[in-house]
Amino acid sequence: MAKRLWILAFAVVLIASGVFGCSPTPPAGDEEKPDGAEAPQFDGEILVGIMVPVTGSEATYGQDMENAMKIAADEINAAGGILGKELKFTLGDDGCDPQMCTAAASKLVSSEVVAVLGGYCSGATIPALKIYGDAKVPFIITAANSTELIKENPGWAFMINSPGYHQADAAANCFERLDVSKLAFVHQGDGFSENLAELTRDEWLSRGHEVVAYDVVNKGEQDFSSLVTKIRSSGAEGVYWTAYHADGAMLIMQLRQGGYTGEITVADGSSSVQLLEIAGAAGEGVYCTSPPVVDYLPAAQRFISAYNTKHNQEPGPYAGLAYDGTYLLADAIERAGSTDPDAIRDALAATENFETLCATITFTPENVLEKSNFMILKGEGGKWTLIE
Amino acid sequence: MSLQEIVIQQLFNGLLLGSFYGLVALGYSMVYGIIRLLNFAHADIYMVGGFCSLSLLTFFGGTFIGNGWLGIIVSMFITMIIVGLLGVVIERVAYKPLREAPRLSLLISALGVSMILYNSAMVVTSGEYRPYKTGLSYEGFSIGSVFITHTQAILIVAAVILMLILHLFITRTMYGKAMRAISMDRDCCRLMGVNVNKIIALTFFVGTALAASAGMMAGVYYGSLHFYMGFVIGIKAFTAAVIGGIGIIPGAMLGGLMLGLLESFGTQIPFIGSAWKDVFSFIILILILIFKPTGLLGKKESERM
Repeated sequence: MAKRLWILAFAVVLIASGVFGCSPTPPAGDEEKPDGAEAPQFDGEILVGIMVPVTGSEATYGQDMENAMKIAADEINAAGGILGKELKFTLGDDGCDPQMCTAAASKLVSSEVVAVLGGYCSGATIPALKIYGDAKVPFIITAANSTELIKENPGWAFMINSPGYHQADAAANCFERLDVSKLAFVHQGDGFSENLAELTRDEWLSRGHEVVAYDVVNKGEQDFSSLVTKIRSSGAEGVYWTAYHADGAMLIMQLRQGGYTGEITVADGSSSVQLLEIAGAAGEGVYCTSPPVVDYLPAAQRFISAYNTKHNQEPGPYAGLAYDGTYLLADAIERAGSTDPDAIRDALAATENFETLCATITFTPENVLEKSNFMILKGEGGKWTLIE
Repeated sequence: MSLQEIVIQQLFNGLLLGSFYGLVALGYSMVYGIIRLLNFAHADIYMVGGFCSLSLLTFFGGTFIGNGWLGIIVSMFITMIIVGLLGVVIERVAYKPLREAPRLSLLISALGVSMILYNSAMVVTSGEYRPYKTGLSYEGFSIGSVFITHTQAILIVAAVILMLILHLFITRTMYGKAMRAISMDRDCCRLMGVNVNKIIALTFFVGTALAASAGMMAGVYYGSLHFYMGFVIGIKAFTAAVIGGIGIIPGAMLGGLMLGLLESFGTQIPFIGSAWKDVFSFIILILILIFKPTGLLGKKESERM
């Protein structure tokens, strides 16, 4: 008897999960066009692939990017589409995994997309470069920014996010603006923060300034007092912290506690508002070199409210670039005058001073942004505000 | 800054760091002295003390007590009692039933308690850093270009006072005498009519309360808390206890201060980055142990069979 009850219970659970859990979400198209009656008449459609991770550890970011691209597409379609055609998307999930990426790219190529948008994880974008190159599909990479992508690019991919070395540039500009000449660098010994510290140090030296301290702290260390003494005795006028926010906040507090009065700038790993929350009063007046996050861009307020209304959440850190990429593609196809892949590629390469939310896009011969899109933020009243 | 000023500044930095190490090391040393247990959970008690005091301080911040020095002293007092009692509970639940078991079982039990503590803290704080907000400012004294905040100075004084009270407690009271006696021979003490269980519980109470006070001071000084913050300091404090001679109370204080000073001066050696300061201080510590295996204040002890 008991056994039967178990089976019954199991069956009920199964049915319930079938009904509630796995019920397919209603096709997005139904609710997307409340004004379907006045929708413009289209002369065919342009199919564009989206390659982002929508499963796996990075799924949230991928989802944000897809959402942002759809918002851009809705706006473009409401304004008459591209070349009178409707912009439509098909999704390839790269799962932030090189193998899934290959499968997703092949799927998109075989569904004969005109172009592809996306690319979040650099590792899961590199394998797609050759596939799109061979199939002659223009590819706008909206987030991934490893320098490996530049090396492996057969010419069909365009990166609209600044590569890491642009940050070194942004940091040097920031310190020059602050009239600093003697700089101290502090990193945490991991690949990312050390690499950035090195790049920035070289950039700083090549501009004819002085590096008075270059130091590393161990992860999990709480006490930076000796480092503070070292920085103070080196006569540094500015400190650049290239690692992450939790330890960065502690360093900032201890620098101020230790009587250091010079400038402090932190890198994108520390751009979280949490840095200012933890650092409290010491965080006032700290600068940050950050990739373009829409929250701080006045031009992006309309996009943010559109995103909020539609998805009932804040756009993630890469949503703005995904939105920009969609507009860039639409513009390039208009300029090409057709959906011929060679024409689109040439139009993309010829992009000049195309204004987007996050940056003004002009490509170098390597299809990388000519000008850095890094922003300079300043901690004021416990919040980051845009300086530049 | 001149060399002299750097030395003075580092002396203060090292003293503060050393008093944190010392306070935590005392607990290791006392517990080891009395039941021969390396209490791995001790480092996590330090973390629990930090979080407990933060909740209290946040609560007091809204009342007339405020979150300035008065609030800090009141929260510290309550934290030491609450966390001290937690230490007693841990001893009762996880160590007492195993007191006659092989020492390795006790060690594993301590590891288990440590994991329970830091994993619970991770769940409660969702693994994030918590800002430790106080009403203290960054004002301080400056002598030349040496700069010491009031907070730093008061914390050093507070640590020294706590250590002095402990020293008087151990050397001048009957309870202290009983603790020392138990660490020499537990069975004999029982035969002499000492309530061994009560004294061991008291030892745990005092040791944990000191670690909790150190956790709170670290929160006040560093301004943030994290569920894993006990790990590094736990290792350092344990080292300090061994260097001073484990089981010997003044040894733990001495070891802590010494390690703190070694670290702060180790960072200042030219051409060696801060990342190497631990290497430097541990090389010296190894040298000490080679020449004095029982620690600085350790006495030669014949193994009891």
